[in-house]
Amino acid sequence: MENQKQINQLGRDMLFTSLASLLAGMVTALLLGLLVFIWSNSVAAAESDSHSSYQRTSVEEVKRGALLMNLASGGMAVDAPLLDTDVEMVISGMMARVVVKQQFKNPSQEWVEGTYVFPLPEDAAVDRMRLRIGERFIEGEIQEKAQAKKTYEKARREGRKASLLSQERPNIFTTAVANIAPGEMVQVEIEYQLTLHYDQGGFRLRFPLVVAPRYIPGTPIGPSEVVAFQGNGWASDTTQVPDASRITPPVVDPAEGAINPVHINIRLDAGMPLEKLESIYHPITVQQDETGIYHVSLQQGSVPAERDFELHWVPHIEAAPHAALFTEQWDNSGYALLMVMPPANQQATTNPLPREVIYVIDTSGSMHGESIIQAREALKLALQRLAPTDRFNVIQFNHQTDALFPQAVEANARNLKWATKYVNGLIADGGTEMLPALKLALRQTTEKGVLRQVVFLTDGSVGNEQALFKLIHEQLGESRLFTIGIGSAPNSFFMTRAAEFGRGTFTYIGKVEEVGEKMAALFAKLETPILTNITVQWPDGQSVEMWPSRVPDLYAGEPIVLAVKMQKPAKQLTITGQVADNAWKQQVLLKGGAVESGVHLLWARRKIAELMNEKARGRDESKVRDEVLAVALSHKLVSQYTSLVAVDKTPSRPVDDAFNSKAVPTNLPKGWSAEKVFGTLPQTATASEINLLVGMFLLILAGALKWISRSRRSMKGDFQLVAGRS
Amino acid sequence: MRWSTSVSIFLVIAGLWQMSEGGYIKAKALLAQHLLQSAWQESLSGKKRVVPWPWADTWPVARMEIERLGIDQIVLEGSSGRSLAFAPGHIAGTAPLGGLGNSAVSGHRDTHFRFLQYLEPGDQIKITPATGETLMYAVITGEVHDKQDTWVLDQSEDGLTLITCYPFDALIPGGPERFVIRAIPVSQNKLMKSVLL
Repeated sequence: MENQKQINQLGRDMLFTSLASLLAGMVTALLLGLLVFIWSNSVAAAESDSHSSYQRTSVEEVKRGALLMNLASGGMAVDAPLLDTDVEMVISGMMARVVVKQQFKNPSQEWVEGTYVFPLPEDAAVDRMRLRIGERFIEGEIQEKAQAKKTYEKARREGRKASLLSQERPNIFTTAVANIAPGEMVQVEIEYQLTLHYDQGGFRLRFPLVVAPRYIPGTPIGPSEVVAFQGNGWASDTTQVPDASRITPPVVDPAEGAINPVHINIRLDAGMPLEKLESIYHPITVQQDETGIYHVSLQQGSVPAERDFELHWVPHIEAAPHAALFTEQWDNSGYALLMVMPPANQQATTNPLPREVIYVIDTSGSMHGESIIQAREALKLALQRLAPTDRFNVIQFNHQTDALFPQAVEANARNLKWATKYVNGLIADGGTEMLPALKLALRQTTEKGVLRQVVFLTDGSVGNEQALFKLIHEQLGESRLFTIGIGSAPNSFFMTRAAEFGRGTFTYIGKVEEVGEKMAALFAKLETPILTNITVQWPDGQSVEMWPSRVPDLYAGEPIVLAVKMQKPAKQLTITGQVADNAWKQQVLLKGGAVESGVHLLWARRKIAELMNEKARGRDESKVRDEVLAVALSHKLVSQYTSLVAVDKTPSRPVDDAFNSKAVPTNLPKGWSAEKVFGTLPQTATASEINLLVGMFLLILAGALKWISRSRRSMKGDFQLVAGRS
Repeated sequence: MRWSTSVSIFLVIAGLWQMSEGGYIKAKALLAQHLLQSAWQESLSGKKRVVPWPWADTWPVARMEIERLGIDQIVLEGSSGRSLAFAPGHIAGTAPLGGLGNSAVSGHRDTHFRFLQYLEPGDQIKITPATGETLMYAVITGEVHDKQDTWVLDQSEDGLTLITCYPFDALIPGGPERFVIRAIPVSQNKLMKSVLL
């Protein structure tokens, strides 16, 4: 406060001084400008001799070959393997089985190893990888991560073909393929199981296509030397992100044109009549066969891997699911995936509580362009929705954090006007230091009876997710954290998990036109009371292992989704909860339901996710690791501690042939600016001198004109004099 | 009124307008340095982030002196166009001035950093950070780079990097080349591990 006052006082002094000098400056500008100009040029002339011996080396022009690609992340990719991706999805009800086929083609004259960093949905249960060489398939085997890497490297040394699929983050994976012969094509097939998200009466399936460059905080550790398969990324490992080089693949300069084409084919068996089926970001063609199954493919055949694919379908209102059950018998246990929709009338009641809303907006370089426009629009809509009884604040951050008000203020017209002005002036530049901004947003406390909500707008392009989760877990208190994902390729693993730790929800906005609709859905959640204290009661004597173990609070339009492992089949269960002061209770009969394979995978994937959350909350890593290993190995799932590895029996590369390791470059997400992410040196010239020159030229011209016309006039005068005399 | 008179009045007005536009930029660059002095004195007395005027989004971070060329300038935080109009700006994300690593400062080639072309290897640059001890740097190289060459901001070695647009006498702003001066620390005082901003 003390400091604030002094700045204000100083500010007033400075205001007068600077206004006065601004005036003085205007008046004397002409004179001064002329003087400075003349002076600076004479100095330049005087000193031009003294620096003639000064050595200046210019940048060498680098010529580009056919197979070289300029990388926006610095340097060039030489003879990088080319990649083609085929995606096939089979969707039935609430589950999807996805096959991703990656074809690596080696365009060079040497044997290469290709590595490709790619994203998958953050809750994908990856359980199968096959290596296809010609007509042969080699089935991948699940192994403990370090062991799998050893197996792979041994094969690589011996000249055998091998592939390794490992998880870098729950939504970032790496495939490595060893010993691709010159001109040869090798295919890696990856399969995973996925639960679909049902929210606001519709299903959503997102297929991420590109890993957006992440901001890597912290100080570099060790030399940034690139060693084969130690990661070929553009960032070097840092204290906060020790695996930075593995999650930052080379990025091709957008000027080179988009690379890595992707084909997508979907077979959608919704199980109910549909009101709407749409792809949000890519044009699609849809065909419905006589059995009611939809066949979806991309209109253009293939798209470059530069923005996420999203399919959205809405059942007819009467056919909207209130509950769904999928079961599977696997390895002597019963598995079930259960969805229950709380009745809508339970949700919209009681008076809304006054709220304190803290808006946190990411203004880092990765938000430049389309993203910051979306964020500004979303934020302005949010400001309009505040009631006069609410309090609010706006915090922006890049490498620095800046709050509009020292603490939350009333949402009166004056403050809102200030805030709107502030939001309009936001520009995106600089790094992404998220920790201090989150700390600031969560630190302030409120009185009782006030809902405290933190609304966080970002693309989540950071590599230090764990540190952020830990902070949210420790500092959340009574606040609720709502994340809004912005841009064409946000880090949805970070945002969904952050919202989970923050007991709020995640909203994804992919383009400006969506802002209105998506924000309206979020406002509905922010303003209606939530279903809390949800508990699930099983019949006595029934031993079940249920994930999530504690059902999170539910917002309007969200279902309860449970994955259960049972020793013996259960008949029914009871779910209870609370909406504001009213109790809510529902009985669910576990009868019927569809038998689907892969339910056990979804259960195991959720168990792993929850174990990893425990690690973020501070549980001992070695214990978490043991438990994750047990689940992942028995269900054959790729995880932080397990990888899939496939090795050919017969060697294909003569051992004494040379061998190169190459990373497959990726695209920059659509709408991103390479200059803003990787930066350029600042713009450091003004138009002052051309202004002065043009001005001087115009004045001289005016003088010349005047002189010409005067001399003409005087000539005319002479004639008149002569005429008068006669 | 004769056409020649109206044309020349127009030319005079346009000429004066252009001159004052250009002069204003130059004058602002000169005057701002004086205005910044008082904010700088405040900063030296231990306060952090003293904004020179209430609507400013920047604050003084260091004083830079080069005795041989008679240069004495206050450096502001950030290298956005707005702050560069007043003073050279410390490039965000590079090491803070006086800190370990490579601190980069950019300035306009037609105002504050015009002098960069007269620097010679061995020239001494004195940097007084807002917090911390005075440091001496010595110029080692001056090179022309493309604006895409952001590796000049690489943090692996301690030093001071001064950047301005190139060529110095180009009339049209916005060219792709940058003139980059490198200097290395030569003083007895130690660089600080981290300077809190």
